Amino acid sequence: MKNPILLLLASILLASCQPSSQPIAYGQDECAHCKMAIVEAPFAAELVTKKGKVFKFDAIECMLDYLRVQTDMEFSMYLVHDFNAPTEWLDAMHCKYLVSEEIKSPMGGNLSAFGTEKAAQDVQIIKGGETYDWASVATLFRK
Amino acid sequence: MFRCFLVITLNLLGQAVIWATNIVVCPTCAVFSVKEGIQLAQACDTVTVSPGTYSEGNILIDKELWLIGKNWPVLDGEGKTEIITIAANHVQVVGFQIQHVGTSYTEDRAAIRLREVSDFCIKNNRVVNAFFGIYGQQSKNGIIEGNTVSGEAKEEVSSGNAIHLWYCDNVLIFNNLTQGHRDGIYLEFVNGSTIQGNLSEHNVRYGLHFMFSNDNIYRQNTFRSNGAGVAVMFSKRIGMFGNLFENNWGAAAYGLLLKEIHDSQIEGNLFKENTVGIFAETSNRVVYTKNSFVQNGWAMRISGGCQNLKMTTNNFIGNSFDLAVHTSGVDNNFDGNFWSDYAGYDLDRNGVGDVPHRPMKLFSHVVSQTPESMVLLRSLFVDILNFSEKVSPIFTPENVVDNQPLITKFTTYDLRFTQPQRLLSSVVNRKS
Repeated sequence: MKNPILLLLASILLASCQPSSQPIAYGQDECAHCKMAIVEAPFAAELVTKKGKVFKFDAIECMLDYLRVQTDMEFSMYLVHDFNAPTEWLDAMHCKYLVSEEIKSPMGGNLSAFGTEKAAQDVQIIKGGETYDWASVATLFRK
Repeated sequence: MFRCFLVITLNLLGQAVIWATNIVVCPTCAVFSVKEGIQLAQACDTVTVSPGTYSEGNILIDKELWLIGKNWPVLDGEGKTEIITIAANHVQVVGFQIQHVGTSYTEDRAAIRLREVSDFCIKNNRVVNAFFGIYGQQSKNGIIEGNTVSGEAKEEVSSGNAIHLWYCDNVLIFNNLTQGHRDGIYLEFVNGSTIQGNLSEHNVRYGLHFMFSNDNIYRQNTFRSNGAGVAVMFSKRIGMFGNLFENNWGAAAYGLLLKEIHDSQIEGNLFKENTVGIFAETSNRVVYTKNSFVQNGWAMRISGGCQNLKMTTNNFIGNSFDLAVHTSGVDNNFDGNFWSDYAGYDLDRNGVGDVPHRPMKLFSHVVSQTPESMVLLRSLFVDILNFSEKVSPIFTPENVVDNQPLITKFTTYDLRFTQPQRLLSSVVNRKS
């Protein structure tokens, strides 16, 4: 590319095609699956399709149920919040999950996500419950 | 339930005559802490607390007793701990100001927690600035009456619910005021309960929120200016009578959100100035009668999978859209309502319009698909669009039609609050 303006335009076009995540406006956004207003950051989750459409969820179990129902869509990102630091999106496929009666999530799944295995185990020691990885938690909630 | 309380009351009266004592707690008395008062008490005693501020951290009530506050003694958690934990049956907590429960992400701290108990009475308390207000878990047969629970949640999401019940049975939630929390009244796995005469306003999420709770009635409550209105979800056999849903505005706000509600009755409610009066999804066998929908964006939106819906004798007055139906559900009946948009006539003067009314405008269908098109709402183009659809319906569901539209509004339903039963007042007055 010789023309710098062309290069700039091309990069803008390409960038706008790149699917990206969105932050959640708590209290205003509603869950794509259950219609509830999203207010609890530790349990919020998000899906981004290959075309860049964003679906927000109030709970990870809602996202899993949505994935079960919507089989014809292709997603590029599966995102969850770390229970301990619910500000940054994490790749859901590489998170560890805890199902504990003592941690109540909005849709009754009692499901929380952690960035590292150790973080999940630390909370498990205090709160009890079972830990899972992405594949096993998906099967658990697909029943 | 009344009989149950009567038995307990008589029981307590009988015991009181024989050996119950009254322990007085005040800042200058021999017993100057509430904890000590409770420790000294035997089962069935009364601990009376005089005015003053008591900052004692977590107070555990582990025996049958009545904790009565005189002239609003203050129990202060100083932003650190849960305050009262009730772990015995037949406990009453009356007349306290309970304040400053600390926020925590890992535990649900409450001003008053009921832990697996029965026959409780939480009455006339003021809960101020608490994380959770009154929190019941696995408890039954109780009354939560006349409490004021006000939090300071504005936009922040780190707030708990004002009245939160989880796995509870047979509870009366009566004449409470809840405001400034996440949900005003939150019920999860709660059966056979009545929610009556409460005012729930300015909560961040819902004024009232049902989840997985069957056989409940809520009546004569007011839900006003809550972030997202009221949600009744995944429940069966719910009666909703004479409530007021008012001023719930926002993209995700509904006067009443129904999701998977079956065999329920919605009668005599007033929906006024909401973005959506009622939003119903996958709700079967629900009867809507004698409700008034006044000046809402949408009076009702009925989404996928609603069947055997019966809607009759309702008033639809001055809504931008009366109905938006996105379901091909069978056996839905919309006959016999009053629509302020109805342009027909009644030549035989029997009070029923001679021409059927189609309450769903084409444009409400368009807006549901493409919300941005809302800017065209008052345009001539949209009027023509709606008119042509009215003449020959193509896009709107054929069965959304009122064959017997009313010419006049139905006579005003009696929304006045009936004189509430005061079940336990005599019991409380006797001691204070």
